Amino acid sequence: MAGYVIRRLALVAVVLVAVSFLVFAITAILPANVAYLILGPFAPPEQVKALELRLGLNDPVLVQYWRWASRFITGDFGSSMLMNRPIAPILSEAIQRSLVLTLTSFVLIAIIGVALGVAAALRHNRPLDHAVSVATYLGIAVPEFFWAIVVILVFASYLGWLPASGYEPLSAGFWGWAQHLIAPTITLVFAHLAHVSRLTRSSMIEVLQSPYVMAARAKGLPERVVVVRHALRNAMLPTITVLALDIGRLMGGIVVIETVFGYPGLGRLLVFSIQQRDIPMLQASIVVVAAVYALANLGADLLYAWLNPKIRYGRSIA
Amino acid sequence: MPAQLKAGLVIVGVIAILGLLAPWIAPHPWDTISIRTRFQPPNATYWFGTDEYGRDVLSRLLMGTRLSLAMGVGATLVSVAIGVPLGLMAGYFRGKVDEILMRAADVLMAIPAIMLGLLVLAVTPPALWKTALAVGFVYIPPIARVTRSVTLGLANEDFVQAARARAESTGYVLFREILPNAWPPLIVEASLRVTYAILLGSALSFLGLGAQPPSSDWGLMIAEARAFVDRAPWIALAPGFAMCLLVIGINLVGDGLRERLDPRLKGRVEKV
Amino acid sequence: MTTTGSSMLLSVERLGIRYRIPGGAVTALSDVSLALGRGRTLAVVGESGSGKSTIALAVMGLLGPEADISSGRILFEGTDLLTLDAEARRQLRGARIAIVFQDPFSVLNPSLRIGEQIGEGLVHHNGYTRGAASSRAVELLREVGIAEASAVAAAYPHELSGGMRQRALIAGALATEPDLLILDEPTTALDVTIEAQILDLLEELRARRGLSMLFITHNLGVVRRIADEVAVLYAGEVVESGASAQVFRAPRHPYTKGLLAALPRLEARREPLASIPGRIPDMRSPPAGCRFKPRCPFAEDPCAQPQALAPTEDRLVRCWKTDGLAATQWPKAAEDAPQGRATVAEPAAAPIVAVEHLSKTYTLTRGLAALSFEGWRPVLRPVRVRAVDDVSLTIGRGEVLGLVGESGSGKTTLGRAILRLVDPDAGTLRVGNEDVTRAPQPALSAMRRLAQIVFQNPDSSLNPRKTVAEIIGRPLRRFGIVAPRETSKRVRELLDLVRLPAHYANRYPHQMSGGEKQRVGIARAVATEPRFIVCDEPVSALDVSVQAAIVRLLAELRDRMDVAYLFISHDLAVVAHLADRIAVMYRGRLVEVGAADEVLRPPFHPYTEALLSAVPTIEGPAASRIRLPFEQRRSVADAGCCFAGRCPRRIGEICDREPPPVRRPSATHTIACHHELATLADAPGTVTH
Repeated sequence: MAGYVIRRLALVAVVLVAVSFLVFAITAILPANVAYLILGPFAPPEQVKALELRLGLNDPVLVQYWRWASRFITGDFGSSMLMNRPIAPILSEAIQRSLVLTLTSFVLIAIIGVALGVAAALRHNRPLDHAVSVATYLGIAVPEFFWAIVVILVFASYLGWLPASGYEPLSAGFWGWAQHLIAPTITLVFAHLAHVSRLTRSSMIEVLQSPYVMAARAKGLPERVVVVRHALRNAMLPTITVLALDIGRLMGGIVVIETVFGYPGLGRLLVFSIQQRDIPMLQASIVVVAAVYALANLGADLLYAWLNPKIRYGRSIA
Repeated sequence: MPAQLKAGLVIVGVIAILGLLAPWIAPHPWDTISIRTRFQPPNATYWFGTDEYGRDVLSRLLMGTRLSLAMGVGATLVSVAIGVPLGLMAGYFRGKVDEILMRAADVLMAIPAIMLGLLVLAVTPPALWKTALAVGFVYIPPIARVTRSVTLGLANEDFVQAARARAESTGYVLFREILPNAWPPLIVEASLRVTYAILLGSALSFLGLGAQPPSSDWGLMIAEARAFVDRAPWIALAPGFAMCLLVIGINLVGDGLRERLDPRLKGRVEKV
Repeated sequence: MTTTGSSMLLSVERLGIRYRIPGGAVTALSDVSLALGRGRTLAVVGESGSGKSTIALAVMGLLGPEADISSGRILFEGTDLLTLDAEARRQLRGARIAIVFQDPFSVLNPSLRIGEQIGEGLVHHNGYTRGAASSRAVELLREVGIAEASAVAAAYPHELSGGMRQRALIAGALATEPDLLILDEPTTALDVTIEAQILDLLEELRARRGLSMLFITHNLGVVRRIADEVAVLYAGEVVESGASAQVFRAPRHPYTKGLLAALPRLEARREPLASIPGRIPDMRSPPAGCRFKPRCPFAEDPCAQPQALAPTEDRLVRCWKTDGLAATQWPKAAEDAPQGRATVAEPAAAPIVAVEHLSKTYTLTRGLAALSFEGWRPVLRPVRVRAVDDVSLTIGRGEVLGLVGESGSGKTTLGRAILRLVDPDAGTLRVGNEDVTRAPQPALSAMRRLAQIVFQNPDSSLNPRKTVAEIIGRPLRRFGIVAPRETSKRVRELLDLVRLPAHYANRYPHQMSGGEKQRVGIARAVATEPRFIVCDEPVSALDVSVQAAIVRLLAELRDRMDVAYLFISHDLAVVAHLADRIAVMYRGRLVEVGAADEVLRPPFHPYTEALLSAVPTIEGPAASRIRLPFEQRRSVADAGCCFAGRCPRRIGEICDREPPPVRRPSATHTIACHHELATLADAPGTVTH
């Protein structure tokens, strides 16, 4: 098990370095001229030259990368082109706000999605299962931004219960802060519930049809014991994998959701930085996102390894 | 043919035909601005109402069908054209080739799909065809992964060993022994990818990084309709429902294909 | 003799079961009646499609929702189980009636420890606490012969070998002291030496606990060993039932006669094997009359009438002709007569295959995966397996060398290495007098024409997307054996050679039976007119009745085409029927090589002796039995004898540390053992022929 942990950590480190290079490559190398990209195609040549000098854009790629990466690791994410302020504090605030949103949504999706999936699998081919199947089928067909519009229509325009957009910091009062969270959270949950529920259902059905579950029934164990002790236990493993994948989709989801709801998190920051061509901000945001995603996946992998006796215990004894 | 497959093909078929014939069957021009007819709710003349520029929503919807289909199919073709050969190589040759390809896939998959798409589109002026390429690029790793796992399973089958025992060339083994058995699960995967491509593509258009006005891409239509959603919800709802319908149809086709192709491959084995 | 009545522990009366499938129903069982008395063992014997597993599931109440019980009763201690409700059945299951399944791996929950899984029944049926159940589980493990019972109870399923798991499962089944134990092919997935131990264990438990067993299997030898009574099942009907010794000595139903005639036996290795032509009827619409009629050499018109299971002498038989046929044997067709061989293997001619000091090692964990910790120190310890270890052998032209070994012996790897499908790490390989050890793959084209392979699993050896014509035609085109115009003609000739009708050329693999697919695989292999074929367990996945036909086909092809075989198998009896010479392999090394007659007679290598002793025969218990311990007693240094860890004749330290010398009882016979030949020749129990 220890070997496994070390290997995974090493892999994460390598992947993150590669991601950072990839991000840097795309933003700094791909465009024909980064300076024009930032200043616009009609910028006067002297401005362009000045910018190139300032950003060191004429140096070889690897040198530029090294400069950027070494500063990055020490926490100096550079300055935002747009706002002319250091990036790090802006990013950290945005991450915190996004984390609140993502974590709340994730917990709700995990609990409700898994519960629905397991319930549907246990009542396989009966009315509840069919209802859940149909609902999830529809659910995965709806794009996130459409869910957002529908939620706004229903809860903000029609019912008037929730604000359509905006944000208030916690310091301004709990309800003020919370009410801006509810609509985006509901939207995220609706958008991702179907996916998790579907995959949980199919892995649970597969487990319920496996030979060891039949063997448990052959021992005459009460059905409750068969389901919980034998089936659920083993269905948890693929569920962890499903949830780990969902973290990534959730992180992608905040891009659209925060934009629609005007929630000042990492997703909206990302979109702004693209629209305004704020390259340093874009680079920093994406690398941070990749890091968070990688760590979340690492956590899921380690949890999986811990729960799976084959990985945890390895060797044969006889 | 399984019922799902039939239903799916009908839905997708109808939408595709509507899209193809759009320029001729659209009741009104999709891009003519007419201030007088702004914000009309669905009525006899304008079945789905009009938008903020007075344009017929239905006609724009029909024209947008082609864009969504093109996005879905185009992006998936790109992913498949590049991802399948890479997956075949990784699964068949194993060793270093496999390691390198899988690490590369890991790196690309370390960034959530939409963000990777944003990243790629950030550095060039937006256009729908670029979005399709970006979406295709984003989905290369998952397709390669699936192809690889299918290939791994097939490479161990005895009939592949039998081919090696005939000194067949690598190309023969890959394309005449493995691929004919690999494409059924790949077709199913590809059909599902089309739905992901449509959804991602429209999300990117929604964010302004795909189709540009005055195009009637569905994602763009919804984005433009946001501002008026309480006044004129039909402008946003129509493309939204259309997209759901299309995606559901394609999902039905994919599931139906999976039903159809799986049992025949395994043969019928009755254990008594 | 089986009697009816409430004195029986289990009595199945005229049971009929069908499975609903899309478009109709498949009949699994019709009019099946069985009776098992207390303390007795009844075996149900049948091939695939006979319905034997359905009986086990029906008694346990584990049939799926698509099963329809159309008729009959299942009486357990006088109560009809089919009339009980689900809860009542559940209470009987695992408590009074227990079952052991075929595959010991997939029936164990991978996330729970063995001890927990064994003790579960006690907790829920007998009211034990978790702690009490755990200790009882350890006791049970000891009772089934597991020495390190506590360690095994704390282990997870993936940490144990197949034999251990099956023992643990038997312990689990017996935990609640059931009245009836059902075993569904419990030893089919195990090596023959492990199977022998498990059968010993079952006999012991039966004597000690007075166990009643319903034993389901396709292996006639196992039935003879373990069962008092036997019921032979064919196409869902019982065709013969009676005391097993009697039934096997003098079978009455034609099917039983045919089965016994098709069974390869060590004692009768010179006799050609009979086979049963045809296949089981389509069970979607089974024929009204005798279901065996299409395949029966004694069939007449009245056979089209439904046949009843009628008592005759000492048993029940479902055949109106049984009395008239009492003394008749299953016919040997004219073509069974052994043909002269095209060439006699001349020892002086250059061998077709010559292998010297061949080795192949697999590294299971690479790079960082081999990282582990000893305390705080990181250590890189890759796991290596020596699949083939310093093997040398030769195969002469037109000769059949049988390669025998159990799982893990390396025999499959050796076969693949000789064909360069796997690259050896060391040693030399000559095929057709050319050194092909290091030749790059593209240069092997000529060799590939000379040396071909037939695979074990008919389901995976043919490309599901190609027709038979394409499969057989490809090697013809690839090597230019015939002009392209002549390809379909040659394909037809090859189909004829393997006894398949010409119209099969347009069939796909999923439209054929296992035996037919195997014939296509053989046709494909001989299409290139090879001089040498590796037959990798070619009949292991087939039913006994089909096996015999394939073995005969291979013998015929050898005679006609003068081709040499490396015939790999774990089944000594089958090998004995075909092989000129036999090589016995254990853990990557050859322990004994010689002419077939020599190897099957003393002096034996201790492993060969144990193998021969373990094979269950239908003659009855062997004069003596050698049993191998199932766990490695000690770890063996690489240089020592590979068998020292399990050898019942181990001398001492010398076996662990020094490589055994090669003894030569004759010019062609070698045995690698530290014992003197005289000691080895002194083996109890011989195999006569």
